Amino acid sequence: MTDAGPGYLRVVVIWAAVLVALYLFQEYFS
Amino acid sequence: MHWIDWTIVAVYLVWIAWDGLRMTKRSHEIEGYFLASRSLPWWAVGLSVMATQLSAITMIGTTGQGYADGMRFLQFYYALPIAMIVLSATLVPFFHNARVYTAYEYLERRFDAKTRAFTSLLFLLSRSMSLGVVISAPAVVLAVVMGISVTNTVLLIALPTALYTMFGGVQAVTWTDVKQMVLIVFGLLAAIVALIAALPPDVGIPQALRLAGATGRLQTFDFTLDLSNPYTFWSGTIAALFLFCSYFGTDQSQVQRYLTARSVAEARESLLMSAYWKIPLQALVLLVGVFVFVFYLFTPSPMLFNQVHERQVREGPRAGEYASLERRFATAAAARRNAGVALAEADAADDAARVAQAADAFNATEAEVRAVRAEALTLVREATGDPTYNDVNYVFPTFVTTHLPIGLVGLLVAAIIAAAMSTISAELASLSTASVIDFYRRFLRPEGSDAHYLRVSRLATGFWGLLASAVAVWAVELGSLIEVVNRFGSFFYGSILGVFILAVAFPRATGTGAFVGLLAGMASVAWVASFTRIAFLWHNVIGAVVVVIVGLAVSLVLRDGRMMK
Repeated sequence: MTDAGPGYLRVVVIWAAVLVALYLFQEYFS
Repeated sequence: MHWIDWTIVAVYLVWIAWDGLRMTKRSHEIEGYFLASRSLPWWAVGLSVMATQLSAITMIGTTGQGYADGMRFLQFYYALPIAMIVLSATLVPFFHNARVYTAYEYLERRFDAKTRAFTSLLFLLSRSMSLGVVISAPAVVLAVVMGISVTNTVLLIALPTALYTMFGGVQAVTWTDVKQMVLIVFGLLAAIVALIAALPPDVGIPQALRLAGATGRLQTFDFTLDLSNPYTFWSGTIAALFLFCSYFGTDQSQVQRYLTARSVAEARESLLMSAYWKIPLQALVLLVGVFVFVFYLFTPSPMLFNQVHERQVREGPRAGEYASLERRFATAAAARRNAGVALAEADAADDAARVAQAADAFNATEAEVRAVRAEALTLVREATGDPTYNDVNYVFPTFVTTHLPIGLVGLLVAAIIAAAMSTISAELASLSTASVIDFYRRFLRPEGSDAHYLRVSRLATGFWGLLASAVAVWAVELGSLIEVVNRFGSFFYGSILGVFILAVAFPRATGTGAFVGLLAGMASVAWVASFTRIAFLWHNVIGAVVVVIVGLAVSLVLRDGRMMK
């Protein structure tokens, strides 16, 4: 479990970045 | 289809069947057959998890949604990465350390035999029905675009899959999944390159996106608080979290994928692969549909994409009305094309005021095209007596077979079939595992030899393959494919997740409490689905919450009652 911790944080950070990118994409082209 | 495309499809089918069948030699005992002796690397398991989830319905239904409705559906997947983290931290280590074959087997160790048998039975019922839909969805569409009968396309898809799953077991499932996933992604990328290459010379990628964006097709966030709207940010992040935890954490077709991993750490890695790649992959699928929309702005488009129903109307008593609608459609489409060119020019000139004005004009013409299409759909529904008729699933296959170059058509048809097969194989293997491990070995013949169970498992896989093919031929009457599959699942999904939450998170929960909770959860979902307009994703939340509350209450009451005695 302990070794997986940083992996989870990386998933969350990339997930948030992807959502922000999608939102900007939507706003830019609408 | 050209003979070269037929050849590509045939070569794919023969190759994948051979590739799966040669795994037979690695499946000599039951653990090898069902779990690949828990020896597979994380990347193969991860690709298999993704390939199992990505069915042909994604290839034809989701691209069609992208065409008709845009990228709103992407919100459905927003919770998936979080669900993968939750499962990696909770259920994955439990399953691995318990060394179970099925998720439901774990429930007997934690609760009792009836809870295990009931959840496994629910899985068998819902999965065998939905497997029929998973086969029939591409079979129906491919029958129309390839010009052969549905029975033939069902056989084309299901027969090789059932064969290699039956003999090669989960090794065959996983290693064919890997190759099928590569083919699917390659096919999607090829489609998007072909679509971009087909744009008119004065319309670049930014202009194409501007045209799609002007119609709202690039909208990927809808923050409205409406429980009856199936795809909003809230349903995608909250309700879908329950759906994905249930699908990846309690559905044997997925649990079995990561039970084949070498270790808990590799099982986690395999799930996190989906956490990284699922949203981008789904965005790519939807974007293909969006680019098909842009393509048909500049290329004459059929008014409706399902030629079989269309032919029926043309030859029927309402042919005149249909022809008149087609004339209106041609005029509206021409006006939309001109407005689209004007918008693309304004965008290329970077003139904000002109862009805004041209976007309004373009949207007005798009609204007229939509209105005519809606009237045509209603007319076809009335004329053919099929109230569920929709042509969304035919958009992408029609584009592929009528506008792509020879060779690419075969590749994409093979990719659609690959997407179907990768899902079907995993589901067949899981149906066989649950029926043999949770019922045959548990209740009918606990002391059989390994060779005996292997024989029975192969027979079980063949049986489920036959049953699912029969359901597929029958399911032709069912409409709106994506919704149907999700609906089948969501009646049970949330409730089964509730049972696993009780098992893992509440040490005081008892078997009887979990069982009564499960019944209460399912009854609640059935009631909500029948008597309210709450969208199906939320049913998962309701089911899980009711099971946990009722399950805990019953556990505590019965325990206190026993203590008082």
